[in-house]
Amino acid sequence: MPGSSPFNPVSPQAQAIAASFNSTLIILGVIFAIVAGLTLYIIIRFRAQPGASMPAQDFGSPRLEIAWTIAPAILLVIMFSLSMRTMRVSDPPRESREPDLVVIAHQWWWELYYPRSGVTTANEIHLPVGRAMLVRLESADVVHDFWLPQLARKIDAVPGRSNHFWLQADQPGVFLGACAEFCGNEHAWMRLRAIAEDEDRFNRWQIEQATIPAPPERGLAADGARIFELRTCVNCHAIQGTIAYKRIGPDLTHLAMRQTLGAGALDNGHDNLARWLANPAAFKPGSHMPDLQLSSDEVNALVAYLESLR
Amino acid sequence: MSQAIVGDAIAPASVEREGLLAWVASVDHKQIGIMYMLAAAVFFGCGGLEALLMRVQLAVPNNHFLSPEAYNQIFTMHGTTMIFLVVVPLLIGMGTYLVPLMIGARDMAFPRLNAFGFWVFVFGGLLLYFSFLAGGAPAAGWFSYAPLSELPYSSSAGVDYWALGLLAVGVGTVAAGINFIVTTLTLRAPGMTIRRLPLFVWMTLVNSVLIIMAIPIFNAALVMLLIDRQLNAHFFTPASGGSALLWQHYFWAFGHPEVYIMVLPAFGIISEVIPVFSRKPIYGYEFIAGSTVAIAFLSFAVWAHHMFAVGLGHLFDLAFAAGSMLIAVPTGIKIFNWIATMWGGTIRFTVAMRFAVAFIVMFTIGGLSGVSFAIVPIDWQMTDSYYVVAHMHYVLFGGTLFALFAGVYYWFPKIAGRMLSERLGRIHFWLTFIGFNLTFMVQHILGMLGMPRRVFTYPDLPWWGGLNMISTIGAFTLLAAMLVFAWNLIVSLRSGEIAGDNPWEAWTLEWATSSPPPLENFIRVPPVRGRRPLWDLAHPERADYLIQR
Amino acid sequence: MSGETSIDRNKLGVGLFILSEANFFLLLIIAYVYYHAQSGVGATAASSLNPMRAGVYTICLIASSFTMMLAARSAKHEAPAMLSAWLLATVALGAIFLFGQVREYLGLISQDVTISRDLFGTTFFTLTGFHGLHVFIGLIALATLAGLALGGALRGRNIVAIETVGMYWHFVDGVWVLIFAIVYLGAIR
Ligand code: HEA
Ligand code: HEA
Ligand code: HEC
Ligand code: CUA
Ligand SMILES: [Cu+2]
Repeated sequence: MPGSSPFNPVSPQAQAIAASFNSTLIILGVIFAIVAGLTLYIIIRFRAQPGASMPAQDFGSPRLEIAWTIAPAILLVIMFSLSMRTMRVSDPPRESREPDLVVIAHQWWWELYYPRSGVTTANEIHLPVGRAMLVRLESADVVHDFWLPQLARKIDAVPGRSNHFWLQADQPGVFLGACAEFCGNEHAWMRLRAIAEDEDRFNRWQIEQATIPAPPERGLAADGARIFELRTCVNCHAIQGTIAYKRIGPDLTHLAMRQTLGAGALDNGHDNLARWLANPAAFKPGSHMPDLQLSSDEVNALVAYLESLR
Repeated sequence: MSQAIVGDAIAPASVEREGLLAWVASVDHKQIGIMYMLAAAVFFGCGGLEALLMRVQLAVPNNHFLSPEAYNQIFTMHGTTMIFLVVVPLLIGMGTYLVPLMIGARDMAFPRLNAFGFWVFVFGGLLLYFSFLAGGAPAAGWFSYAPLSELPYSSSAGVDYWALGLLAVGVGTVAAGINFIVTTLTLRAPGMTIRRLPLFVWMTLVNSVLIIMAIPIFNAALVMLLIDRQLNAHFFTPASGGSALLWQHYFWAFGHPEVYIMVLPAFGIISEVIPVFSRKPIYGYEFIAGSTVAIAFLSFAVWAHHMFAVGLGHLFDLAFAAGSMLIAVPTGIKIFNWIATMWGGTIRFTVAMRFAVAFIVMFTIGGLSGVSFAIVPIDWQMTDSYYVVAHMHYVLFGGTLFALFAGVYYWFPKIAGRMLSERLGRIHFWLTFIGFNLTFMVQHILGMLGMPRRVFTYPDLPWWGGLNMISTIGAFTLLAAMLVFAWNLIVSLRSGEIAGDNPWEAWTLEWATSSPPPLENFIRVPPVRGRRPLWDLAHPERADYLIQR
Repeated sequence: MSGETSIDRNKLGVGLFILSEANFFLLLIIAYVYYHAQSGVGATAASSLNPMRAGVYTICLIASSFTMMLAARSAKHEAPAMLSAWLLATVALGAIFLFGQVREYLGLISQDVTISRDLFGTTFFTLTGFHGLHVFIGLIALATLAGLALGGALRGRNIVAIETVGMYWHFVDGVWVLIFAIVYLGAIR
């Protein structure tokens, strides 16, 4: 089962945060134990007994009070320096070069672009194990937030500006994340995943993504390709090698190779794809992909076509 | 002004009650204070209902009980309601009732402004709720981040109602703040120097300064948002050159002081309740009073800790982290001074005291998770996760609301003339304590497992479903607790034990008059020669002024 | 010691109100400066505003603060005739200022500089518009006072009313001086 807890880090950046989180929790736990312990002791020890007399009227002791002003201050200095040290590791300075990956957040999906290979895909980040990728993050509409807890710090996608950060995974696997800043209706299903694989497989994946899938010659899939152009899909989607180039919705060039549909709302597969096309709002109400009132024949043809896009 | 208070005989309490109209037209601070609290209680019912709807939706993964549209409206209204229509007005209402009594005054400095403030607040609240009927409630969260809150992304009128309603509430709040300051500075009874103010009054005074400095920031931001939406201006619309971040800065420059506005008077309540039931004076009055001022100042230097994930640069983040951490120091002083007040006391564990003691521990949990956010890299993981939801409920519910419950059990006898049932009160306390921790403790863990906040549903990942179910069960335990509380209020109002002037043998001036107090509060204000006038009266041989300079 | 104080509660109340208003304007000014600093295309202060003409109206507003001071002094010296005269002068000067602002707005709108055109329009009209609204409210208060003074109803203890309205008027005036310096003279770039 893929995980999503920042306490299972798989990169030096996330590792640094987890470590400082752990030590902070210990410090805070001790403080809590002191406060709760004193309170508990007081509850037991100083409960009024019947016939108890008036206690001594104690107005305070500046010396003690200064002590409990200074002690927390010292702990805070420690935590502050911990914070500084961790920030350098978990968010190293960016290099002024072309990013390895550009992420553009949309309501409610992620556009992914690899400038080096020219690959465009959506919602599922492939990355090579052990190599830090420089990522540029942008937003196409409102504020979103990129969160892959096991891999990197969390960072906002703010319209009108771009942010840079490092993304790295030191072991292969699938790691889950999500958009963390509330961005409207389908914020809940703006999920994200990273697929880390060794350098070879990653390169192979990139080459596959960069090749244009052969257009279907005949049969259902070929019908689907025609319907795709007729039923306005081309107004929003791009498929390399066809007339479809729009970027309002996810690039579908290699849709069949993706694990999920609708940014994590559904697992990718024959049935789910058909259900999605028949009525996206059934799984992602409010999504910007409209219900195009397709007949079931059209849906079948489209599914056949989209499944041919490997 | 103050000379007028002393020695005048005034009409008995009974003539002031003449049906509903007498309340609506009232400018008496006690009636207005009660109306504030009742109105806030009604809104609490609304906000609580919304919370329960959310918890039902979140009880199991992939749930379809609420649509995302509905859920987003509900959580927005829940947060907005609880903060602006419940906590703040409850605290203002308590202050409106108590401040004049505690300083030995007949009324607030501006009784009509007082009534005005209350009625604008009610109006603002109704305006906000009217949005449900007018095409949909706001659904951009309680901090309405731009550009999501702008016309292209929120085209229904919800956000307009939100902004207008909160503008009205804000005006009422500023009016109350001005009134508190002027009342406290000009209407104190002879002998009630600033340094002898009861801590609740002191904290309300400092709080009012915060209100006057912070709320206008919000009002300005709201006005700009409205101008954007209504007149197609461009303050916060990046597509036409505006800035999404300016809204965030403006909102949090208000929003962070606002969270202290919601807690300082609660600190004041605790500082009144704990000494009385420990039978000891407050430990280190000066430190508590001084640390409050420190918190007020610092609260303006921390706002960007809500924006660590924006990517504004390490130095920027660290500057605000330092301020946020510093606030732990004056807050810690208070916690330890309260503990020292109880230490060596003869403690009566009434329901009021139970809530006060629970407050100390619960608030500390919330405060400590707050400090963990101030460690920037931790915030880079935990911001906008359920860990934040846990933090804010620990400080707001475990903190402020627990303090308010303590205050209600403490002052109800003064307000109603009858005692609340301690037996029902104990049930209320334990249900609240257990339900609260069930609901929100597990949310820390959910955050640590990677669950983002403000999601109408979530995938079935390991532990998520189970922990959310526990949280939902906790929420319904809280419902039971609140029903017991409401029942207690109703029953005790009818047939509670008669309270008498001073059932707790407390020491501040409000206990020197009848319960409930007569129209102009005091037949005669006792001499004030120290911080505990009634202690001095009861124990002339051990009077405070004999010990302290 | 006693809690007896010499602070007048009305003055204190108005003072606090002014403080809250000052915070409000501060934010509007910051928004203007922030966008002015980074504004690129579209109208600008330099291209659309006429500091000379606005300067004349500014002088009227400043003068009205002086006449207001004189009004308060006449009230203190129990000189009802002078009081009415100075109050009327204040109203007149304030009204001239407001008239100037309306003229300026009409001029800008005719050049298609509006609140929805660009960020200069947005921030400029919001800032000066809210200031104008405050001037307008001040004028109503002043006119009321002037009416009362003419009717002979303003004397003795009512001096506090004149003083508090005066405080407010000086504040509104001060805000304008700041706006004029920043927006028209470009004191902060
Ligand atoms: C009553 C309201 C209240 C109070 C009092 C606080 C108190 C504090 N809060 Fe909290 N906060 C909120 C209400 C409140 N907060 C809300 C509503 C949000 C969410 C807003 C939203 O996004 O919707 C929020 C969010 C929030 C964030 C942003 C999280 C995020 O979204 O990324 C941060 C970050 O720094 C923070 C920090 C703090 C700190 C440092 C304190 C400190 O003041 C706490 C100080 C107290 C203690 C530390 C405990 C007692 C002290 C001791 C026992 C002494 C020893 C202690 C040490 C040495 C550590 N808070
Ligand atoms: C003081 C503030 C306060 C209080 C008391 C509460 C109380 C509760 N809150 Fe809330 N909450 C917030 C402030 C508060 N909250 C804020 C600011 C947010 C953020 C919003 C945002 O993201 O924009 C939030 C968000 C929030 C979320 C996260 C939503 C999300 O991110 O998707 C959740 C989820 O569980 C939640 C749950 C609850 C629950 C179960 C309660 C329960 O404790 C409620 C218990 C109350 C009842 C059950 C009511 C019963 C009352 C009656 C029956 C009437 C009785 C009548 C009288 C007493 C007269 N709250
Ligand atoms: C108005 C624009 C629009 C039109 C027209 C449109 N789509 Fe989409 N489509 C989108 C958007 C936006 C998304 C992303 C939805 C989300 O995840 O929230 C999407 C998502 C999808 C997905 C899932 C992709 C993924 O990686 O998750 C598929 C498959 C798809 N569309 C196919 C089609 C087909 C086939 C048609 C024509 C019958 C079509 N779309 C028409 C906008 C459109
Ligand atoms: Cu995108 Cu939340
Ligand atoms: Cu804060």
